[in-house]
Amino acid sequence: MEKVCVIGAGSTKYGKLQESIADITVQASVDAIESAGIEPKEIEAGYISNVFGVADKQVHLGPVVMSNLGIPEKPSLSIESACGSGSVAFREAFANVAGGFYDAVLVTGVEKVTHTGTEWTTTYFSYCSDFFYEGQAGASFPGLFASMARAYLTEFKATEEDLAMVAVKNHDNGFLNPKAHLRKKITIDDVMNSAVVASPLKLYDCCPFSDGASSVILCNEKFAKQHTKNYIRVIGSGRGGSPAALQGRNHLTTIPSTKIAAEAAYKMAGIKPKNVDFAEVHDCFTIAEIVDTEDLGFFDKGKAVEAVRDGKTRLNGEIPINPSGGLKSKGHPIGATGVGQVVEVFDQLTGRAGERTVKDAKIGLTHNFGATGASCAVHIFQSV
Amino acid sequence: MYKLSAKQQFIECAKLGKVLARKCKNCGELHLATVYFCQKCGNKEFENEELEGKGTVVTFTIITVPPAGFEKYTPYAWAVLQLDSSDLRISGFMANMAKPSDLPIGSKAKIIGFDERGIILEKQ
Repeated sequence: MEKVCVIGAGSTKYGKLQESIADITVQASVDAIESAGIEPKEIEAGYISNVFGVADKQVHLGPVVMSNLGIPEKPSLSIESACGSGSVAFREAFANVAGGFYDAVLVTGVEKVTHTGTEWTTTYFSYCSDFFYEGQAGASFPGLFASMARAYLTEFKATEEDLAMVAVKNHDNGFLNPKAHLRKKITIDDVMNSAVVASPLKLYDCCPFSDGASSVILCNEKFAKQHTKNYIRVIGSGRGGSPAALQGRNHLTTIPSTKIAAEAAYKMAGIKPKNVDFAEVHDCFTIAEIVDTEDLGFFDKGKAVEAVRDGKTRLNGEIPINPSGGLKSKGHPIGATGVGQVVEVFDQLTGRAGERTVKDAKIGLTHNFGATGASCAVHIFQSV
Repeated sequence: MYKLSAKQQFIECAKLGKVLARKCKNCGELHLATVYFCQKCGNKEFENEELEGKGTVVTFTIITVPPAGFEKYTPYAWAVLQLDSSDLRISGFMANMAKPSDLPIGSKAKIIGFDERGIILEKQ
């Protein structure tokens, strides 16, 4: 198996964007190519992650991107795995480079939905659930995670204020990220006083609907060394699945796919959770970050809330979680998110993260899932 | 004779307040009727079992920002039940729930039908 590296990364700002889905996909790709210092013709394939291209009248994005990069003859494909599309596309690209099929590939994730409004996005996002049992019965995504939140708060005697602290922390980080969608600091009172979306979750427990695109260049180590000294290695990659519907799970305070993916990624990397210096995790809702950090092995079951209270997950804490601001503050353009997490790890490990740099970090982890964690991918990266 | 699909049979049962389950002929594991291979042993042979759609609320949410089509029912609950008669769980829509104290965890509830809102639950 070839050693796989990330040699370039780029992102548009996340938020409400005016340009078309095709334009932002190309913009992010060009940024990644330029940051890698390579020529587009050196790219052998394109992996595009996207869920609702239909909302901006463009599916089959790959050939549009490749044509605009001046390489229309190169193969491409689109990958959809709900909110986990980005990390799943990254994994497929990783497997193809590791397997020796390609020396260098482009992975770009994108979403453009904010122009459709809250009702459209709430409705269409619900199609990512096991629709027969969930979306059809009126379960929105906030509603599904709210059901997990109620189970967690009940089982571990945690409070809604505890969840609010996750939002406050991620907004503190996102405030330092020029590309973040919600770039403002908030307080626990702001969260507690925001409108209830699906009890017990309130508006500020939820990530925003965002537009945005993120892109990375993956290659084998020989290619990386020929082009740059500024690259990072992918040392672990794992994937897992969970029952599609929440009713199929006996415990709602854990996400099985995260544990399966993390175990595989840690095994490939030959490390333990305690060796990770920081992580970008899937905090689509505040409760998700609590559950994720336990499932990833950073904290024991039921103890993540205490860790948040003690500041362990803050930028200067023992295991900084979501230095980018996470989905909560940086934003969640669903097809782009998993790739955006890799962009953050690349920036952190190559000295491009500015004010939000995690001190002395060598190993970063990304964790991204689709829907309520029905599909998941975990990746581990190391600086060179 | 026209044979109903597994999903259609499941829906017809839900309309009668029941859950159509499939019991694995090899290991005895119970599944909802929409599963085609045993999740425990991989076997494909099942026998149908009709379970009473009664159970206990293990978690729920009250939705105040609904997807399209649910505006006229808002607020409403979406709840997960642990069935009394087996280890299976079933989730569904529950009308006329405005605040969390209306539906404490542990409340008894049952399936009362199936329509365009999927499985319909009611607190007992």
